[in-house]
Amino acid sequence: MKKAILCVILCFSLTASGCAADSRILEDLGMVQTTSYDLLPDGMLSITASIPMADPEASAKREVLTVVAENTKNGRIKMSRETQLILVSGQIRNALYGLSMAKKGIYRYMDTLIRDPSISPELKISIVEGNAGELLRKDYDQHPRTGKYIDHLLEKESSWQTIPRVTILSFLRDLFDDGIDPITPIIKDMGNSIKINGIALFQDDRYVAKIPADDTMIFAFLKGSFKEGEINVDLSENGDKKEYAMLSSLVSGRKLKVSYHNQQIKVRCEIKIMCSILEFLGDLEISNEQDRNKLERRISDKLTRKADSMIALLKQHKVDSLGLGSAVRNKIGYANWKKMNWREEFPHVEVENKIKVVIKDFGEVR
Amino acid sequence: MMGILTSMLRKVLFNPLNETNKDQDHNHNEDKPEQNASADLQHILDQFKRSADLIHHRYPREGLDVIYFSHMINEDKLQRDLLPPLLAAPAADIILNEQSQFQQVQNAKDCVTGILSGNAAIFYNNVAYLADVTLPASRSVEESESESIINGPHEAFNENALTNLSLIRKRVRSSHLKVIHLSVGEISKTDCYVLYMEDIANEDYLSELIRRIKNVEIDAIHDTNMLLQCIDDNPYSMFPQYMTTERPDTIASKLVSGKIVCLVDGSPSLLSAPSSFFEFFASADDYYQRWAIGTATLFLRFMALVITVTFTALYVSITSFHYEMIPENLILTLTTSRSRVPFPPIIEALLMETTIELLREAGARLPTKIGQTIGIVGGIVIGQAAVQAGLTSNVLIISVASSAIASFVIPSYIMSAAFRLFRFGLICLAGLWGNLGLVIGIAYMVIHLSGLTSLGSSYLTPVAPFQPYDWRDVFFRFPFRLLNRRPTQNRAQNKTRQKMKR
Repeated sequence: MKKAILCVILCFSLTASGCAADSRILEDLGMVQTTSYDLLPDGMLSITASIPMADPEASAKREVLTVVAENTKNGRIKMSRETQLILVSGQIRNALYGLSMAKKGIYRYMDTLIRDPSISPELKISIVEGNAGELLRKDYDQHPRTGKYIDHLLEKESSWQTIPRVTILSFLRDLFDDGIDPITPIIKDMGNSIKINGIALFQDDRYVAKIPADDTMIFAFLKGSFKEGEINVDLSENGDKKEYAMLSSLVSGRKLKVSYHNQQIKVRCEIKIMCSILEFLGDLEISNEQDRNKLERRISDKLTRKADSMIALLKQHKVDSLGLGSAVRNKIGYANWKKMNWREEFPHVEVENKIKVVIKDFGEVR
Repeated sequence: MMGILTSMLRKVLFNPLNETNKDQDHNHNEDKPEQNASADLQHILDQFKRSADLIHHRYPREGLDVIYFSHMINEDKLQRDLLPPLLAAPAADIILNEQSQFQQVQNAKDCVTGILSGNAAIFYNNVAYLADVTLPASRSVEESESESIINGPHEAFNENALTNLSLIRKRVRSSHLKVIHLSVGEISKTDCYVLYMEDIANEDYLSELIRRIKNVEIDAIHDTNMLLQCIDDNPYSMFPQYMTTERPDTIASKLVSGKIVCLVDGSPSLLSAPSSFFEFFASADDYYQRWAIGTATLFLRFMALVITVTFTALYVSITSFHYEMIPENLILTLTTSRSRVPFPPIIEALLMETTIELLREAGARLPTKIGQTIGIVGGIVIGQAAVQAGLTSNVLIISVASSAIASFVIPSYIMSAAFRLFRFGLICLAGLWGNLGLVIGIAYMVIHLSGLTSLGSSYLTPVAPFQPYDWRDVFFRFPFRLLNRRPTQNRAQNKTRQKMKR
């Protein structure tokens, strides 16, 4: 009994002595939803944070703070001088990096996002073409909270495969894995709206090249298997009349076959795409089986050619964003892999793409 | 009619094991009759001095004196059946000694006890005889209010022990059903019956229960729930360690499964022992529904337990410490509703929980008609006005209301009251230390429950000790053909319940 009383006294004295100072009462918090980082010409950081507000008496839907600081946490200290809320980062969903910073390497400035235990590893990372702070500060009339707008845009597009879903976890995993290079989506301010503008390719943590928005589906086919997605294929040849096929309900399966003979690495990428055709502008009668097979062949050829040129782009910039290196490493064994400098070797590896399209369904029209 | 029935029943039910605790009364001054004092008329009349309700009939010519309490006996029977032959006979003592309905009593104490429990005392030549003509006042067998169900029998026990015994005998027609008569309470001398199925119930449990009841030293027992607090293993615990019910069908099933039942005269609830924690979450309804529905209902109840215990505490801990845990879409709603509240979450939550408890307590004490008013006033004032006035957030109202509703899903009122009280502790802990406090509180509860015993058997039985077969009947409600064994906790002499051939 004495022990129990002692226990209670101890508990209360602990509480009284300041444990309660840990409390983070909801309405006193400024929960940063999105932050953006830009590198200024003088090497200082320009940091912007967007904090959704719920005060029914205030007309603004969010609070946006911008500071210039030499490192990120100091930026937060400076920011908190400007607001009555306690700034916390446990609800942060997006980190935006300006192109200026991405070109210099972003890992250095991600440190706080990795180190702070209250920040989720599911935090999404993207690159802004232009100034990230400006994009975040801007209010878009049709979309009340810019931070949330960006978040939902990225979430929705990644579920349709047009961009990969890049979180801080996946970015770091790809960064430290030597068989793959990280990627992020690129967004751009279009005046009245924000647009997904392609995929950024990183060499280590530096931005080196970009895949344009129209080709991102080809990248998705090469990157891995998925279900759900849409693609528009332009079948028109030079001087020919226009032919388009719009494929939907994509189910794509990728198989990588690596062969290793006489120090010679050869990667064969076999992709099978099941789809249904939703729109076709052209001469072929797709309810006819022969015509349909012909169409399938033409689409397959077209996609294969596009894939080839994408591989060429990657080789040109010496970035293995598809993770072919991991497949090669698995095939040739660690000792051989260790001897090889994959970054230098990659452009010389023969990569053969084989895309096969199967149209399962061509709609109600016979 | 009732009097005849009950007197017959009493004769049938009295068992050779009938023991009265003689040695515990000797130091009580209230019982003036000495052990050895002979039961002479004057002495008995002295005992009942200043008892206006005592009836004393004299028949000087026949030499008979009759003493009884008119409100406790069936006077019809006495006047019409018992007295005429005595008055007509040349010598009454021949009949008195011959017929078994008259019992000669040797000492004054037995005589006084007999009169007090509804016998008529007949004196002839200063020799006392008792005639059992009891007709106790009680209400009729009615529907159970506290444990009503939709399907199945609706009758409930009432305050008369003999009626209750007859309800049980009616359901368990077996000569193996044994009834032991005990009496508790130094002054009240309340009748207490211990029932068990011979060859099924465990003898160790039986003798332990009887020993504990005999050792109870208290002036009066008014209800089973009072008795069980005198005989349970951990009197300081918040949780009830014996299951009580006022449903005859439940009691019959407990008996048949090998439990021991204890019945107290004057109480409509019967206790069954040993009990496990999870028994308090079962209802008779589960067995009268199809098995799938019964199982789903059981899941619902355990879910209700989790909701009752944690919901409000979780709200407090999340809004005061763990903003990271809130889903993105909920944040703005939650912040908006919190932003007008002037109190920290813990004060807000305690305020609302107290209000709900006030409402419940007020509703429980008031007649139904006023109770409705309370419901409306409470519902509107608490639900709407408190939010509009900015005293609480509406998310809290939802969590407080749902945990209050969930607490009433637990079939045993005593168990649900225990958890409602425990919840307050949990809310305070959550307000002090957030999720850490919540976990400390729940861990303390689990440790405490694991330490409890019921008649010496583990309180958490099918979980610890782990008895997977019992789970079929505790966490699920398997079809009856798969419920072949009696619960392990009962340590029944015959472990197999049935051998269904199909």
